Amino acid sequence: MNTLAVPIKSQQRINLQRLLEPYLYLSPALIIIALIIITPTIVGFSYAFQSIELLNPFNGGWVGLAHFKAMFSDRYFFSALGNTLDWTLISLFFQFSLGLGLALLLNRNFFGRKLVQALVFLPWAVPTFLSGLTWAWLFNPIIGILPHWMSNLGMISEPYNILSDPQLALYGPIVANVWFGIPFFAITLLAALQSVPSDLYEAAALDGATPWQVFVKITLPFLAPMIAITVMLRTIWIANFADLIIVMTSGGPANSTQTLPSYIFTTAYRRLDFGYASAMAVMLLILLLLYTAILLKMRSKLAQA
Amino acid sequence: MRKVVLTGLLSLSIVSGAVLADTKLKLVEVITSPDRTAVLRQQVATFEANNPGVSVEITSLPWGQAFEKLATMVQSGQTPDVVEMPDSWQGLYASNNMLVDLEANIATTGLEAKLTDKTLAMARATDGKANMIPYGFYLRAMFWNKKIFARAGLTEAPKTMQEFVDYSKKISALDGGVSGYCLRGGVGGTNGWMMFMAAMRGSSEFFDAQGKSQLDDPDSIKGAQMLVDMYKNGYAPKDSVNWGFNEIVSGFYSGKCAMLDQDPDALISISKSMDSADFAVAPMPVGPSGKAYPTIGYTGWSIFKQSKHQDSSWKLISHLTSPEQNIQWAKKIGVLPIYKGAEKNAFFSTEQYKGWFEELNSPNYIPLTMPTHLKGWGYFGSVLAKDRSQEALLGMISAEEMAQDWAAYLSKEQRTWLDAQ
Repeated sequence: MNTLAVPIKSQQRINLQRLLEPYLYLSPALIIIALIIITPTIVGFSYAFQSIELLNPFNGGWVGLAHFKAMFSDRYFFSALGNTLDWTLISLFFQFSLGLGLALLLNRNFFGRKLVQALVFLPWAVPTFLSGLTWAWLFNPIIGILPHWMSNLGMISEPYNILSDPQLALYGPIVANVWFGIPFFAITLLAALQSVPSDLYEAAALDGATPWQVFVKITLPFLAPMIAITVMLRTIWIANFADLIIVMTSGGPANSTQTLPSYIFTTAYRRLDFGYASAMAVMLLILLLLYTAILLKMRSKLAQA
Repeated sequence: MRKVVLTGLLSLSIVSGAVLADTKLKLVEVITSPDRTAVLRQQVATFEANNPGVSVEITSLPWGQAFEKLATMVQSGQTPDVVEMPDSWQGLYASNNMLVDLEANIATTGLEAKLTDKTLAMARATDGKANMIPYGFYLRAMFWNKKIFARAGLTEAPKTMQEFVDYSKKISALDGGVSGYCLRGGVGGTNGWMMFMAAMRGSSEFFDAQGKSQLDDPDSIKGAQMLVDMYKNGYAPKDSVNWGFNEIVSGFYSGKCAMLDQDPDALISISKSMDSADFAVAPMPVGPSGKAYPTIGYTGWSIFKQSKHQDSSWKLISHLTSPEQNIQWAKKIGVLPIYKGAEKNAFFSTEQYKGWFEELNSPNYIPLTMPTHLKGWGYFGSVLAKDRSQEALLGMISAEEMAQDWAAYLSKEQRTWLDAQ
């Protein structure tokens, strides 16, 4: 009988408790996320507005937007930005087109397919540090074979190391990166290809479609969502990926292969200026967020069309 | 039964301890590699055999973390008795008054007359009093490829900077893609620039009394310009703008370039790949002042003041640096020995070592020590020196702009340091 007379106030409290209850159960996860992801991000952001130079530990303190102002008059920052664009777009283009080609080839039936599939994915499993060193040796004319081939093919005048030519040096890490990244696209696109219903291909064959028509009208539309997501993910990864550049050229010669992440690394761990490095990292984050926003917008537009 | 044995052992050890006054010395080595540690252990074992009752406990710190680890040991009161002291830390520990003054020991043992002048100068480098006994030197000298020189019609190594440039030109004119000089344009190239700039300037001083850097002095710029011109004229390989230690050494022994300035430790890998009749080592070419300034590095043994066994520690050091042990040590790890007349030893009297001993024994070769006391030196060496010199070699900036940039940074650093003194 009493329950009928429950006052409205306590009813509200029960509602609130119901609302909060799931968060209570989630709290261990939320606390961990806050500690592991959100706190370091906030600390990192705060570094961007402070002077933190390990060589001058007592000159610390807040400096406002000074790092960002310095960035806009830093010619290395802009050349690194341009290099990041080249590095990302060229690597992405070749990784994607060669990866797609490989996935199409591997989707056919042939003898020893399982073995070939396993071998093709090998570069992805090699530690980047090791592949960077190996490629650096391959480009070295004293030990490596590539400069001699390139000069025999007339690509370069004499067998020299393109990693020490400021005009060409960036292509060294790009080649290594393409080699390293093809399997990623091949794996993901192959998985998507295998989910295309085979009756569609049979129907197309009955209707007398050419291979090109089959590719454009059936395969590509089925792959499109996967392509959109992998290209987006991969762009961000490549843009943030500094290992190969650090190992192969460490940004040189004369900073000509410095991308933003490698320049951030150099600033933080060679110049020991964590404030300026954090400011550039924040800038890189903003640029990548912008890119992601544009890509997602384009994707939803395409999906509606 | 076990109890009896234990008591027996215990009493035995007490007795023997009382008789031999058991001393345990703690030695810390900081430049550790398996080969080196093996040599050190063997030398220490001889010492222990000759000095019953004294035992030595060796702690090996890997070089990468040695500075922090030793500092932590000292701060926490676990100070070793004997420590391997690199030149770059000598000033720090000496100025904190932590090292034993070894002058009295040097005087009583007559070492003064036996050690080379440069060894004594380095022992006394910080405040005029010897606080370490160096065990060997790293010194820059010029490796030259005799076969390539003969092809260019040359019979001996260049003696002056002008000859160095002329010979490089002649050699680079040969066919087969040979260049004169194995230029180190990449990581670790700082010493080379400093050396050539000092040779043209005719001085080993980096700063004047007010802390102004001497690198933008017109004569210093001439030295920098010389290297830039050599690269631009093709007297050094095109790739060398990015070369580090491995590339210059392999460039030299593969015959891609004919002259290489390096320390004695490079001899180990070069001798493995080249016949000793095909190359020799000459002193660095001298500048217009008639003097050359090869960079020098040294490491030695010091005793900490906190040691309770200073006498035994000195015995250990004098054993490790005795002529016989020192020569063996120098051979195994690739440094130059510290005694006068070491060049007469069969191993060191070869043509490969001649250049270094000439530099050590002649007043015309003044060792150049880098200003490692500056906090920003690490950044200067690994970033600023490398980036600017590569830009200069590639023609993006002039040699003068490079020198001015360097001087501005180093002057600022030196003044900060002077203010702190």
